[in-house]
Amino acid sequence: MPTKELPWVIKYRPKKIADVANQDKAKKEFIEWLTAWLHGKPSKKAALLYGPPGCGKTSMVEAAAHEYGLELIEMNASDFRRREDIERVAKLAATQMSLFGSRRKIILLDEVDGISGTADRGGLNAILELIEITIHPVVMTANDPWDTKLKPLRDASKLIAFNRLTETVVARVLSYICKSEKIECDDKALRYLAKLSDGDLRSAINDLEAIARGYGKVTLDLVKALVRRRDREYSPFEALRNLFMSKYAWQAKLAVTQTNIDYETMMQWINENLPNQYSDPEDLWRGYEALSRASVYLGRIKRTGNWDLLSYVFDMMGAGVALARMKSKYRWVKYSFPQRILLMSKTKQVREIRDALARHLAAKLHVSSRIVKSDYIPMLQIIFVNNPKYAARIAIGYNLTENMVKYLAGPRSNEVLRYIRELKERGVPEEEKKEGERVKRTRRTSGRSGRRSSGKGTQTQLPF
Amino acid sequence: MSSIAELLWAEKYRPKSLDEIVNQEEVVTRLKKFVEEKNMPHLLFAGPPGTGKTTAAHALAHDLYGENYQRYLLELNASDERGIDVIRTKVKEFARSRVPGEIPFKIIILDEADNMTADAQQALRRLMEMYTATTRFILIANYPSKIIEPIQSRCAFFRFTPLRKEDVIARLRWISEQENVQYDIEALEVIYEISEGDMRRAINILQAAAALGKVTVEAVYKVVGLAHPREIKEMIKLALDGRFTDARDKLRQLMVEYGLSGIDIIKQIHREIFSADLKLPEPLRVLIADYAGEIQFRLAEGGDDEIQLNAFLARLVLVGKKLKA
Repeated sequence: MPTKELPWVIKYRPKKIADVANQDKAKKEFIEWLTAWLHGKPSKKAALLYGPPGCGKTSMVEAAAHEYGLELIEMNASDFRRREDIERVAKLAATQMSLFGSRRKIILLDEVDGISGTADRGGLNAILELIEITIHPVVMTANDPWDTKLKPLRDASKLIAFNRLTETVVARVLSYICKSEKIECDDKALRYLAKLSDGDLRSAINDLEAIARGYGKVTLDLVKALVRRRDREYSPFEALRNLFMSKYAWQAKLAVTQTNIDYETMMQWINENLPNQYSDPEDLWRGYEALSRASVYLGRIKRTGNWDLLSYVFDMMGAGVALARMKSKYRWVKYSFPQRILLMSKTKQVREIRDALARHLAAKLHVSSRIVKSDYIPMLQIIFVNNPKYAARIAIGYNLTENMVKYLAGPRSNEVLRYIRELKERGVPEEEKKEGERVKRTRRTSGRSGRRSSGKGTQTQLPF
Repeated sequence: MSSIAELLWAEKYRPKSLDEIVNQEEVVTRLKKFVEEKNMPHLLFAGPPGTGKTTAAHALAHDLYGENYQRYLLELNASDERGIDVIRTKVKEFARSRVPGEIPFKIIILDEADNMTADAQQALRRLMEMYTATTRFILIANYPSKIIEPIQSRCAFFRFTPLRKEDVIARLRWISEQENVQYDIEALEVIYEISEGDMRRAINILQAAAALGKVTVEAVYKVVGLAHPREIKEMIKLALDGRFTDARDKLRQLMVEYGLSGIDIIKQIHREIFSADLKLPEPLRVLIADYAGEIQFRLAEGGDDEIQLNAFLARLVLVGKKLKA
């Protein structure tokens, strides 16, 4: 590819650490850390560069590789989701010499804060292992390193902070590029571009290139007409609008990825608003069918750790949903916040009691709390609502709290609670005590021997 | 009137030793061999709910170690533990404590192992190898196909089958007699039909019905009806009537207020599809059942509960529309 066709973010990326815009403190710390590595003992085997997007973290590593003649082994968050992947690629790279001679390497793990949740726990551990065994410098980047799940990484790394670039710095770089490219530009336009970029130099350069290539010049009017705030800043409302207005598959895919919420939350927004948008039952069904497929792909990803499937999630929740509209026309509708999220917070207290009850019983009944909820709680509710006296004895048997009793007994809570108090105060009368002990013994030896003699043939009496 | 404390019968009458287990003869015979030899490999128990998998695991431990077997047993439930790291820590700690003199290993029961992700199962496999000198795992699963190959190949496999009608009914009769419960034998047969060989469900229904009075066919149906929220039926009707958002509100009520999972709900929907209350041409019942099955499959694949069920409701709206036309 001839140089002139390289995207500018690549063409103008710094070749030496000194060329990186600003970040003097970070530069100094990084150079110190890297030289320590190259001369033997580093303080920490890994460095974690953190700061807002487009402020030069990755550029600094690339520049360092270039300047020190290191082979850059780069991995993106999506590559090392799976432990196998990191073991295969990174450890090999770290512990074996390069095929052609002994050129030293530097390993870059970009966007480690992209590792999320329990599904990636293996990935996190793999990185920690990598740091432990590596014979090459390991550099990680992150926007937000303060997430608790990243604590082990923070502990294992030298932390190097990058600051958000100021408008002046961003504008200066843009101006330099315009001069090199011999593009006519006006300072106000560059200043405005810099302002919109929010300190993200990468996005500013991309915007600059888009306008310059399209119009051959960069004026304030063009910038105002063409550049919006960054893609990721679309609110879910805007994203939904973009999605449902999409005529092409690519537009729809873009719409669901360019939002300031994560894709799982975006799914909930689509789930909420599909029936508002699609009035025709067939469109509605096709839309939900596509969303359903998207959520199945996501489920498979979570189960198997196969993040390659992620693009199918976007295919289905984006293109699949947007192109489901075949019968009705696009119309403006008001979108609403996912009710499910609201409902969950409103009913939080009740759900907490129910979950506590489920966990409490799960331990005693040797089943999961899910089974308690589906199999036991409905039956307990029947007993508690219909037979408070008997319910009281079960409540005592399982040491249920007042809230748990109230949850199970509903309108008859007071009766059940009164019986519980009475039973506890009265205690167990002498003859009943013996009976109770015998019940325990029977439980232990249990079996089908049917030791109990009392009650045989008196089936007309209720036990309680 | 006995002790003031009462227990759930499913627990109260759980068999304590292998001798007391009435079904699963083949399984029990093989397990008793382990007790005789005082040794066993890792085990994988698979089968539908309520067929005695957990009970058999406890009974085996009981017969190996005696009354105080709990000391040598660690019981974990994969769907309740927070991730493989928690499991790893607990296993590590448990494996460290001393083994009983006569038997050189302790037992770890891991229930609902098929709910673990493939990654977590890989980690589990390593754990099993690491502590194989001092511990034995009993993995319990509904769907053995969801257990990864390397674990399956390390375990002796035991398949549990739904309980036979006569065994379920005999057990229900026996419990009823222990508890002095008055019952109609037909009612017990109905309990068996409803519980489909799931002993836990059968005993729960019996206990709830007994709490209402004599266990009659009507009482059993009443209990089952109460346990199945009427919202399910209402939701289906609303959807068939073309009122999607109202149906979705019911769905949310079921999920949030009753705390039912997507799978619970689709299973209950499945039961409703063929009920006489639902006025539908017969061929449509088949169509809807087929789609319900597809949705249940997607839920098992890990799809979001509400989204999957909304897809089902949207399909019902479509069916309803064609029905009217």
